[in-house]
Parts: sequence; structure tokens; C-alpha cells
Amino acid sequence: MTHGIGSRSTTTGLSRRQFIATSIAGGTALALGGKAFAQAGDTLKVGFVSPRTGPLAGFGQTDGYVLDLARKALAGGLDLGGKKYNVEILDHDTQSDPSRAGQLAKDLINNQAIDLMLAVSTPEVINPVADACEAAGVPCLSTVMPWEAWYFGRGAKPGAPSPFKWTYHFGFGVGEFFKTYISQWNLIETNKKVGVMYPNDADGNAIRANLAPLLAKQGFTIVDPGAYETGTTDYSSQIALFKQEGVEIFNSFPIPPDFAAFWRQAAQQGLIKQIKICQVAKTGLFPSDIEALGDLGMKISSAAYWHKAFPYKSPLTGVSGTELADGYEAASGKQWTQQLGASMSLLDAGFEALKASSDAKDKAAVAKALSQLKTETMIGKVDFTSGPVANVSPGPIIGTQWVAAKEGAKFPLDYVVTENATDPKVPVEAKLVPYNG
Amino acid sequence: MSNQIIQGILLGGYYALIACGLSFMFSVMRIINLAHGSLAVLAAYALWLLASRFHVSPFVGLLIVLPLMAAIGWALQRFLLERSARGGALLPILTTFGLAIVIDNLLFEQFGADTRSLAPYIGSLSYDSWEWPGSIYVGKLAVVMFATAIVLLGGLQLFLTHTRLGRSIRATSEDPDTAGLVGVDARRANAIAAAIAMVTVGLAGAFLGMRATFDPYAGAPQLLFAFEAAVIGGAGSLWGTLIGGIVLALAQTLGAQVHPQGFLIGGHAVFLVVLFVRLSASGLGPRGLLRLGKTS
Repeated sequence: MTHGIGSRSTTTGLSRRQFIATSIAGGTALALGGKAFAQAGDTLKVGFVSPRTGPLAGFGQTDGYVLDLARKALAGGLDLGGKKYNVEILDHDTQSDPSRAGQLAKDLINNQAIDLMLAVSTPEVINPVADACEAAGVPCLSTVMPWEAWYFGRGAKPGAPSPFKWTYHFGFGVGEFFKTYISQWNLIETNKKVGVMYPNDADGNAIRANLAPLLAKQGFTIVDPGAYETGTTDYSSQIALFKQEGVEIFNSFPIPPDFAAFWRQAAQQGLIKQIKICQVAKTGLFPSDIEALGDLGMKISSAAYWHKAFPYKSPLTGVSGTELADGYEAASGKQWTQQLGASMSLLDAGFEALKASSDAKDKAAVAKALSQLKTETMIGKVDFTSGPVANVSPGPIIGTQWVAAKEGAKFPLDYVVTENATDPKVPVEAKLVPYNG
Repeated sequence: MSNQIIQGILLGGYYALIACGLSFMFSVMRIINLAHGSLAVLAAYALWLLASRFHVSPFVGLLIVLPLMAAIGWALQRFLLERSARGGALLPILTTFGLAIVIDNLLFEQFGADTRSLAPYIGSLSYDSWEWPGSIYVGKLAVVMFATAIVLLGGLQLFLTHTRLGRSIRATSEDPDTAGLVGVDARRANAIAAAIAMVTVGLAGAFLGMRATFDPYAGAPQLLFAFEAAVIGGAGSLWGTLIGGIVLALAQTLGAQVHPQGFLIGGHAVFLVVLFVRLSASGLGPRGLLRLGKTS
């Protein structure tokens, strides 16, 4: 619908004056000759958009390090079909603001004339960037948000052919969460009663609509008090319901401040005594979220879109999972996070597509290469030829748990793999421990 | 339900604490401090730094941080607000807005995006509770916060009514010129008032950090609750702030009872109703506002 309106306005809206101006500009460019054009053609420009500051900055925290590695690997240029290209990665910070993300994308497309767009982390970053690329006809690759929110959230209809020509997304979706949760929750004996707290936001609503019914089919009783608003500071009524229903599993997709307020209140009011598995997504992706919870953070279950135990190497930089994690810890003094591997895999897949394209300077050729991309990256397989829908390649989300680190470790917490239903090549490191046990 | 009401009242104590400084600054200096939330987060970071680096308990850390906040308040008034106030009533608001952005981003530069909390440094206080009959749970930290709010607001009230300095601050807020005639140093009174306001902001930051989590951008949501509590209670009235906090929290609790998404809406609704009632009562109803708009 929106595409129809947009295209109509551009054709009918082109005034005579605009037409003349454009033809003059085009003519001048042609007259200035092939030389300038050829020089520009020697450089491949790749846009990289992520949230480096603002409330989502936890996701962007490691990007500086990942980009450094990529730039080092590309310092000597990129050899494509016997032709050498200089590579310029233009990284930009959305400041966690969706409208700024869209503006940045337009700037990269119109003023920087990028050849490929990469966007990473959360619908607030990816969707506006992908929309701008789809409208402008620039190939765009993204990862780290549920693919359903990317695909259906941007207007695709179930059962209908994909409306997207230029934009591609890989990584976990609701189906992977489902497999992982079933596998994780069956590791411990419980009454299979699940208290859920899904917020009223893009992720929360997608999960409520798609994941909860699947879980119910597998014999889990879902106790859902209804969506809550982000920023709520008192959860007494939800806690009362969970206690009354006797839930033993708890599942939520909260932002860290909401979860801290909720979980401490749950402890105050005696709810957590009955909880055997506390499975939290979004909060708990990064170690600082869990450290902030103090004792209450130990043994919280999580799910990871990348872990340093992943057995894959980055084709772009050649580093392995442990090398990437250790390198980051040495360079920053901070504990590794799962975002390292995800951002790296995006660069991996993006450059694999450029390599596979018949002409990296031709946007249609790059988009075609993306649609046929089948490769292995830091997070494992990326395969656009066999996804559930076109333009999407589902990726793993591995069950994990936060536990106290061993004596003498550099950081207070350890993040261990407890199941591997969505990628059996990832080694399981530890047995899931009950939250209260 | 009775449990929820008790939780609501206790939450009101927290709201009153974070609203106290905002309300005080408005009543005394006629300044709406939009950097209020960011300054509270700044205090929380200072306490976190002391706790994580030097193993100072946040309660002991207050002995260092509160005087520091007072100094910040004094400097803020002397070097920033006083000067911008000369440019008209709107300028100080814009100044504090800019200040909030500067503080947020400096905190981000310094501490990064990590989520922090003071709760790990106060043992189990953040989630300990007393269980009363009828499955009523009273959080110990919530009680500490409520008591602090009462002591703070009561203390400020006593200070303003019964001390010479308090009276000179009140006189300055009523009419700085006349106060000057009878020998009150208005600049000094305002700077001291700003220092006191920042001490309350420091306390608010401490409890924010113990109760929940914070990151460099956590200031704005705090400002919203503080603002609503202050307005509901009648901006400028200290006991009113406590009532305002409790009314806000109870409205949220009630909203959540009606519908889980009603928590924030309940609070906003009460805020708007109170605002409209106030405006109508002062003859500045919607029509009054329009009249004002026409004449200006």
C-alpha cells in the first residue's frame, strides 16, 4: 500500500523544472567524464548503523572493537574478481532514536552513495534503516531482532510473496525461541506453569501473539496478567496472580530497569521462593544487567544469539569465538558480550555477499547475491535460499544461564551454555541449575 | 487488594522523595529544574563509584555525596541559573534542559551504557520484607524510603518556618526586592536554597539506585514522576508533595487493577484532572487560557 502511494507520487510529482534540473545534472556528470566515475568506483562504501549511545547503547558498546578488527582486515583492500577495491566502512550512531536512524540511512544513501547498508540491533534501529533502503533501492542486511517483527512488522503478509527486493535479515525468530524454551524448560522438573510478563512494545506483542500459543500446545500452562507499560514501578497485582496460580517458571522480555523493579518486588513478596526457572530475554543479554541485580541475578536463565563457545570463525577477520571474546576483554577491560559475535557476523555476511556478487558496485547485483547468500559466519550458517520466507535466514538462539564465576576469575559472572536445540554444533557447557535449589 | 494499596502508599513515599527537590526549587526560586532527574542519576553514579571502587556502603557514601551535591547546587545557582534568570522566566528552564543533556552525555562518556544499581552494595535490604497477616508484604527499603520522605519534608517545613535562614529564603521567594530592603541577601538565600534542593536530589538519587537500576539516560523518566507528584500535591507545598506522591502511586495502583496497562495511565489521568481543576479554580480554565493567549 505505502509502496504504491510512494511510487505514484514520485512519477507524477516530478515537475518540469525538476526534470530539467536532473537532466542537466546528469548531463554534466556524463560530460565530466568517466575518469571521476572510475575513481569513485574503486572504493566500496559500506554503511554500518547501530545504537552506540542512548538507552540501547548496551548493544552498540562492543561495535567499536568489532569495526576496528574489520577495518584492519580490510586495510589492504578487497580483491573481487581480480579487481582491487578500497573499502570504507561508514559507521553511524542512531542515539537509540528511530527517526534519527531513518535520517542517517537517507544521508548514507543520498550523500555518501553507499554500496551496501548494514544495520544491527533492535527494531528501533533496523526497521527505519531497512525501510529507507527498500525505498531507495539500496541493498541492506541486518541482524539481531526477531525476524517476524522485521518481516511482518514492515508490512509483509503471511502467505503472500515477499514485498521486499532490497532488504535482507538474518537471526533468531519466535520459532527459535520456542524450540529453545521447550528444550531449556524440560531440563528441570516443574509443574509446567509459566508466569509471563510481556510488555506492550514491538517485541512483547510479537512474543505474546506468536510464542505463547506454541508453548501452550506443548503442555505448558501460560499465566498472563496482560501487557504492562514500560516504566511501570509497582507490580503487586501481577505478583499476586503468579503466587495464586503457583507458577514455577517465569518468562519475560523486559528492559533492565523494569525487570530490576519487578524481580526485587517479587523477592519482597515471596514469589521467587516458588520459581524454579527464571527465563528472561532482553534484560540479561549483557553481564552488567545481571550484576545490577546483585544476589537475585544469579541463576537467571537467558538465551544468546551468540556465545564465545560457538565453534565458528569469522571469514572476514579470521578470529574464532574465544579469540574475539578474549581480544575484546583485553582491549576494553570489560567482560565479553554476545553482541560481539552478532555484529561480527553482520560484517561477515555483508562482505561475503559483496564477494559473491557479479559486480560489487552494482546494487542490483549485490541484492541478488544477498538473496542467494549461503555462507558460514561468526554466528554460524546464514542461508537466504531456504528460509521460512524470502529475505529471511533464521539463526540460533542458545539456552544459557548466568552463574557465579569460579574463584579467581576476572569477572564476577559466568555465562554458560545449557542447551543447543537451535544449533547442535554449539557445545553444551553446563547443566541448568534451578533458580531456587 | 489491601496489599496493593499498602504497596501504593509506600511507593508514594519514593515519589515524594524524588519530587521534593523539584517542588522546593519551584516554590523558593520559581525555577522548574528539568535537569532534576539527571542530577539524581549523577548522585547515584557518585554513590556507585564509591561503593564499587572503594567499598563504601551507599549509606556511608551519602556523607560524601550529599555535601558534594550541595556544592553543585550552590554553584549551579551562582554561575548558571542566576545569570540565565536575568534573561527572562523561560531562559532558566531552557538552561536546565541543556544541562540535563550535558549531564546525561558526560555520564555516558565516563561510565558507558552499562546498567547499574546500588542494590548489590546494601546486602539484601533491597528485597527484604516483613510479612504481615493477610499476606501483606512490607518491603524494608520501601519503609526506609517512606520514613526518609517524612523526615525530609517535615524537616524542610520546620526549617522554612522556624529558622532565620528559612524565613529569609521564604521572604526572598515572595518578593526579593522588599526582602533586600530589610537586609536579606537574596543571592545568598537563593544559592543556599539551591544547595538544599540538591541535597534532596542526592537522596532521591540514592534511593533510585537502591530501589531500581539506572544508566546514563535514566534521568528523564524520574523527572516525569517527580513532576507529576509535585503538581498533584500543589507545586511549592512540601506536605502537599507527600500527598501528591501517594495520590500518584495510588492512582497508578488503581489503574493497574483496572487493566495491567493502566498503571502509568492512571497516574497521568490523575495528574491531568488535578491540573484542570487547579486551572479552573484559579480562573484560568481552558477559556481563561484562551483569553490569556489573545491578550498577549
